[in-house]
Amino acid sequence: MFRGAIAIFWRDLLVLRRSLFSELLAVIAYPLTLYLAFGIGLRGYIADVDGVPYALFIAPGLISMTAVSAAFNDSAWSVWFHRRVQRTIEEYRVTPITVYDIVIGKIFSGFAQGTLKGLAVALVIFILTPFRFPPAHLLAYLLFIFLGSMVFSCVGTICGTMIDKPENIGRVEAVVIVPLIFMSGIFFPLSSYPKAAFAAISLLPTTAIFEGARQALLNGKLAPLSIAILLVTAVIAFAAATFTFNRKMSE
Amino acid sequence: MAFALEIDGLSKVYGTLRAVDAFSLCVAQGTIFGLLGPNGAGKTTLIRMLTTLLRPSAGSARIEGHDILSSARTVRSLIGVVPQDNNLDRYLTCRENLVLHARMYAMAPTEYNRRIDELLELIGLTGRQHDFPDTFSGGMQRRLVVARALVHAPRVLFLDEPTTGLDPQSRRAVWDYVQSLTPQMTIFLTTHYMDEADALCERIVIMDHGRALVDGTAAELKERLAHAHTYELEFRSDGERYEKILRGLPFVRNLQRTGNSFRLALAGEEFLKPLMDRIGGDDIRKICLKEPSLEDVFIELTGREVRE
Repeated sequence: MFRGAIAIFWRDLLVLRRSLFSELLAVIAYPLTLYLAFGIGLRGYIADVDGVPYALFIAPGLISMTAVSAAFNDSAWSVWFHRRVQRTIEEYRVTPITVYDIVIGKIFSGFAQGTLKGLAVALVIFILTPFRFPPAHLLAYLLFIFLGSMVFSCVGTICGTMIDKPENIGRVEAVVIVPLIFMSGIFFPLSSYPKAAFAAISLLPTTAIFEGARQALLNGKLAPLSIAILLVTAVIAFAAATFTFNRKMSE
Repeated sequence: MAFALEIDGLSKVYGTLRAVDAFSLCVAQGTIFGLLGPNGAGKTTLIRMLTTLLRPSAGSARIEGHDILSSARTVRSLIGVVPQDNNLDRYLTCRENLVLHARMYAMAPTEYNRRIDELLELIGLTGRQHDFPDTFSGGMQRRLVVARALVHAPRVLFLDEPTTGLDPQSRRAVWDYVQSLTPQMTIFLTTHYMDEADALCERIVIMDHGRALVDGTAAELKERLAHAHTYELEFRSDGERYEKILRGLPFVRNLQRTGNSFRLALAGEEFLKPLMDRIGGDDIRKICLKEPSLEDVFIELTGREVRE
């Protein structure tokens, strides 16, 4: 059972291992720049947010952002590339594995890459900056990284399955993914929103990821609403990804 | 006789287009079967249905006795597929491509490593096994795709235009290899190359517009055109004058001219003497009866117009 998913997962990790250094270098550069620009550059203007120093406030969100962005990108581009360019998905489909094996393998690859890259950014921020957190809070934080990467990996798989033109994947990222990430309280507290918007923003899965992860890492709190939102979203996204992929393959 | 493939009224319809139209066929185990047809004839659609990639609109098919719809996974475990494109994984080495395929079939490492070593030796890529496919020539990539389809020792091998784009040496290498696979394996081959079908296939079907037009051995198909009495005529000079004469003869068919050379068919053997009487013997450099080739049969059945 799931031997196809495991084989595909093995393949993706083998490829990642070959380019691990360059991948991590590329993935670390962006959040680290943001951290230095906002965390250090704005330090003199924003003293703290709800009693938390600003650099400390944004660090968990940047790590989570790296993880979910990597999960989305790896899944979307991988599925698209294997489907449209290499056509290796067709080779997979004439073997005895199921369509579910393929989609599960790809989702787990995206999830694993997201988690790995998020941890790499966390390590660099930890080494290069004064950002510190109680080690006991790490497990709760990883739960959010895990669920967030799973959700975005599924969304990426849906995009890679449905979108034929590569430029449209970039457009989805610019119009949907980036606003969802940036609106969800990475750089400012959710209390900044007007009351009417606050209720809607609070229910976004991205808010559940970033706000929940921050609370987990800084305060050791597991927000039940955030976890519930993420669990439901992960299940729906997974079902939608497998359904979409299965349907596309049968066309 | 045991059949590797049994196809019964298989159809695939896209809107108003019948890509495959009630196609029926049985292929004996251990034989090389060739499916010929112009572009858009329905060959690839038929292969995609037989390899479970595409769901038929109607009809049924069995591979080694297993239904392609109700036992699709079993069917996929029994077949190997070489598609038209070299869909190799360019981020995996030659050997890793084969290992990934073996893992899809749940083969144990001891089993697949031995098998992969054998196949790499057979296709002459042992020395390049740790290189990436992008560094290979077209012929080497093609051989690797064929090897990949054989890792799990399939019972039926589908080859969709396996030698398209290869140089003559690489084509011959693929032919030799394909021939060496029978009778342990049944080969289902599509090709545009008539010489390939002629050299390899024990049985040939020519299809067009989704339907089978003729079925038989290469010799049987050529025999169908034996009645056509095709001749080649070459004159020393005055090609234009002779063309006018030949076009005026009611028993001359399918006249083609290249300079002073003509190719024509007579309505019957008895018209050879009237032909010679009309054109005389002074300017004739050469006249000979042309044996029909498989390509003649193909053109006769599917027409001369170029397909999209």
